[in-house]
Amino acid sequence: MTITIDARGLNCPAPVIKTKKAIESNPNEDFMIIVNNVGAKENVKRLGENLGYDVTVTEKTGDFFLQMSKSCCTVIKENSIINNDVIYVSTDKMGQGSDDLGKVLMKGYFYALTEVKPYPKAVLFVNSGVYLTTEGSEVLEYLRVLADHGVEILSCGTCLNFFNLSDKLAIGDVTNMYTIVEQMNQAAKVIRV
Amino acid sequence: MEEEFFIISFESTHYAMLVENKLKEAELKVNLIPTPRIITASCGLSLKIDSDVMEDVSKALKSYDLDATMFQIYRVIKNGNENKAIPINIH
Repeated sequence: MTITIDARGLNCPAPVIKTKKAIESNPNEDFMIIVNNVGAKENVKRLGENLGYDVTVTEKTGDFFLQMSKSCCTVIKENSIINNDVIYVSTDKMGQGSDDLGKVLMKGYFYALTEVKPYPKAVLFVNSGVYLTTEGSEVLEYLRVLADHGVEILSCGTCLNFFNLSDKLAIGDVTNMYTIVEQMNQAAKVIRV
Repeated sequence: MEEEFFIISFESTHYAMLVENKLKEAELKVNLIPTPRIITASCGLSLKIDSDVMEDVSKALKSYDLDATMFQIYRVIKNGNENKAIPINIH
């Protein structure tokens, strides 16, 4: 059975929340979500994919139809080594006291993060944290390991722009404050580094 | 799948950072990491070195006139969940 959710006219994050609630109450059904703005389309698509659905999008006269079917990979997803935690990185140095030591500790943190499972669902980088996801960062190889296992690596676009790093992003995707808020709100817990 | 690499553990954080900088200046690929749990000694910081660069690193270390009591080198063999760390001597 396919459950249809008409979220046209709703602004973000309402379509995502509506979809998420419907999935939680009907975990074994397929869904058809209808939205009429690009942001909602992208966010619902990402939610569906994160929860293990195959998402197909068709556009008709300005409306987006998202067909979400339980993917063949669901079983793998359920046994996934990823939990529902989000890590929030707001600086390129860990702790306060010595900047040199802070940089060393941050490198050690990301190495250790790749060694301890389960992995978090996402790592969010804001403010000077974006120095860690851009060219010249010493933790790129560790972030690559996380990304290869399905961890979302998200850098704040405003911050990349502020530090003139927009064209230097070396891993993951650019995000905005709405996605950051959604990621935090939907997380089992948020770990601040 | 077996993986082998080398770990140099240090007695002091400053010494670890000093040696890291020296090896990086020599353009050797080393990574400063938290000392793996199987090695209990040290300040908590270690250098991780891939097997293929260990020979160059050993040569460089010998040329630095370091205090041998400040660090210890281990060969680490990772096999699934089983890890072995064997102390080795370059002197």
